[in-house]
Amino acid sequence: MKKFLFKAILLLAALSLILAACGGQSRQPATVRIGYAGSPDTLNPGVAVLSESYLMFELVYDTIYDLNLDGTFSLNLAESATPSEDGLVWTFKLRAAEFHDGTPLTAEDVVFSYGLYSAVEGYPWMGDYTAYFESVEAPSPDTVVITLSDAIPNLDSQLVFLYVLPKHIWEKQHPVEFDNVEMIGSGPFKMVEYKQNEFVHLVANKDHPLFAPKVDEVIFQTFESNDALVQALKTGQVDMITEMPATAVESLRGEANVEVVIGAPFVPTVTDVIFNQCAPENCPESDGICSGHPSLLDRNVRLALAHATDKVKINDVVLLGTGSLGTTLIPDGLGVWYNSSIVDYEYNVTLANQILDDAGYLDTDNNGIREMPDGTNPLIYRVNWPSDSVDGPRLAELLSEMWAEVGVKLELQAMDPDALTSVCCPAFDFDIILWGWGSDPDPNLLLSVMTTDEIPTGSSETGYSNPVYDALYLQQAVERDFDARKALVWQMQQIVFDDVVYIIPYYDPNIQAYRTDRFSGWITNMPKIELADPTSLTVIEPVNK
Amino acid sequence: MKRTQYLLKRLGWSVFTIAFVLVLNFFLFRVLPGDPARAGVHDPRLKQEAVEAIRVRFGLDKPVINCFESLNPVRFGSCDVNPLETQFFIYVRNLFKGDLGISYHTNRPVAEILAERLWNTILLIGLGQILSIFLGVALGIFAAWKARTAIDYGALLTSLLAWSLPTFWLGIILLFWGSAHGLPIAGKATPGTSSWPLMQQWGDVLRHMLMPTLTYTIVYLGEYTLIMRSSLLDVLAEDYILTAKAKGLNTFQILKDHALKNAMLPLVTVIAINLGFTVAGVLQIEAVFSWPGLGGAIYESVLRRDYPILQGAFLLIAVAVILANLIADLTYSYLDPRVQSE
Repeated sequence: MKKFLFKAILLLAALSLILAACGGQSRQPATVRIGYAGSPDTLNPGVAVLSESYLMFELVYDTIYDLNLDGTFSLNLAESATPSEDGLVWTFKLRAAEFHDGTPLTAEDVVFSYGLYSAVEGYPWMGDYTAYFESVEAPSPDTVVITLSDAIPNLDSQLVFLYVLPKHIWEKQHPVEFDNVEMIGSGPFKMVEYKQNEFVHLVANKDHPLFAPKVDEVIFQTFESNDALVQALKTGQVDMITEMPATAVESLRGEANVEVVIGAPFVPTVTDVIFNQCAPENCPESDGICSGHPSLLDRNVRLALAHATDKVKINDVVLLGTGSLGTTLIPDGLGVWYNSSIVDYEYNVTLANQILDDAGYLDTDNNGIREMPDGTNPLIYRVNWPSDSVDGPRLAELLSEMWAEVGVKLELQAMDPDALTSVCCPAFDFDIILWGWGSDPDPNLLLSVMTTDEIPTGSSETGYSNPVYDALYLQQAVERDFDARKALVWQMQQIVFDDVVYIIPYYDPNIQAYRTDRFSGWITNMPKIELADPTSLTVIEPVNK
Repeated sequence: MKRTQYLLKRLGWSVFTIAFVLVLNFFLFRVLPGDPARAGVHDPRLKQEAVEAIRVRFGLDKPVINCFESLNPVRFGSCDVNPLETQFFIYVRNLFKGDLGISYHTNRPVAEILAERLWNTILLIGLGQILSIFLGVALGIFAAWKARTAIDYGALLTSLLAWSLPTFWLGIILLFWGSAHGLPIAGKATPGTSSWPLMQQWGDVLRHMLMPTLTYTIVYLGEYTLIMRSSLLDVLAEDYILTAKAKGLNTFQILKDHALKNAMLPLVTVIAINLGFTVAGVLQIEAVFSWPGLGGAIYESVLRRDYPILQGAFLLIAVAVILANLIADLTYSYLDPRVQSE
């Protein structure tokens, strides 16, 4: 019996070796293989959280507006958009479109989808994009009329994530529990097969009126380790990778037929140093603990720390120089909204020490750590960061070294993200947190984070309160003139920069790489880099036809 | 008779342990800090109403158990709630119905996800275990038989080395080597091959299994060789082996009829323990080769506070460990009848 088993195993091993040697695969027509380090959490747009899910939505669904890689918007499902004089009623004329199952896409589908997004309570995020919708109507099959409660200046940025779903399928399903694995949409790619944590297989929708892809298929394959991802690109097992560690950039650049591209991510992200500056009078009544170090309420201290922060070195050490240096919470990836006129505080330790000396923060007991002007409370700050952050520990250590130069001591401690949320806000039970934000295409969200109204809600992490800023925030939210709004948004950035609400060490880069011997035409000359976006995937062509 | 009694006693203990794990499982995860309805999402757009809707959907709005509203932070609640309306009893009732719940994160039934992942893991560790057991035992016997020769020292050194290699490091080395030789290095199958004929699909899966299985085999091979060798060496020093030699039996007969059965005991224990635990997934191997197994699922769920998956997975692991131990106990009683009387 044992002998038989042994023979069987030998046979099995031999068989697998033979199969390995043959590698019996038939070549498939123009298939783009993309390696990424994730997998969609769900294909139901109402409840999805992960960016991998949104990547699929962008490829498989159409929206009225598309978000471009330069931060602008362009019409997709609609041919024209006409606002009323008062900006409250928007009329969209739809172009001809068809769902992947052959059913025509009409205004009814748009009305149904928007209705779903605004009405279903179990959709955590979509409600926000429809918050200003008073009604959505379809007077004719190709006309959608949206009536708004306020004349908001950024309707386009609200519509880019409102994917148009087929009413005839979704009306029969439970909107939250529907897993939507068939994913019938009208976009440039059709869903063929989805295996969670393994792959997503899409084929081109060659009948798409605007963006018919030139390739035939796209396959996203999940890699759980970055090393494997990079190796797969080197050996040609994949044609493009959507992410990679900065440490692999140099080695990939030396590789033949591989091109590395670095730019702002599609969803621009910012890494921030959060100062707890919640004043006692603003401490949230029910949840507030407000145990922040009193010195952080003083702009002089924050300013001195800004001068003591060598952002160039941080970028070089943490990101190997791939990030871009930051100024305020609004990242450079937001294009026109980013205030590029701000001149950053100079890295100057002498000046930093001078500022602290002048403000009365002296080291009276000569232990290398300054005290408050009244001689109490040495400047020892608790610094926390989420334990799942790769860059957090390095950033913390660098800050600890740099700020020691100006007599400030840091106590470093990583924390579980949930635990961090509970000390952060609205509890304000911390001194300094190293965290970050992903930005909406519109600056409104990140600007709101610094308003007084958001202190009790937990969105404000700093507890910063400035009535001038608050007033400007409300003003920009309804300013329909683009240039006027831009001026307001820039002014707000200047204010929070001058007040040193945060120190922004860098804006995170998106590092992607592709093989030049497989497909050509990748869009790499835009401020944002996203090779897996429809903008690239619909235009690339095989190199050897 | 004795044997049946022994068997029943073991079975009883196993059932009791599983019941205990069932209860522990529920409370263990609820003591963790963090709100599953927020799932670590740091986003102001997640409004209170939406969080509430998620709570209601997954039954998190109900008290954990009578007198306790929540466990972390500990919030006491009313003790006269209908016990059937508490999270604990709903959990137990659903379990008996075979319903492990819906994953908070992926919106899919837990049973479906776990079944898929468990199968992948069994594929990987099944083949790996079989290979490492047979090769390890064979090598161990060979080394013990040729004790204190170059062959023995060679085998000893190799096994020690294999056993002490960090799994992920070995995995990555093999990954680089494999990819340079055209072997697939990620996933369970080539994406987009579901239309291929069945034989070809299986061939594809086998190709994908080569590297992870090899890693697994090397890591466990060393352990099994070492244990088998030392245990056999002990047995070979016994007086009855000398007797057997004196009777004029040849080496093969001595090994087969007198030594092996006794030398197997320690190995059975180790194999049983390994089997049970590796069902939890060989996380490092899964991570290196992007193998969609159980270990990865557990890891992701911990990060996302996906209680239903964690509960289901831990139950599965507990059952696997208990079953493996039960099998070890039974094998013991077969290999060494004295065990029954203890």
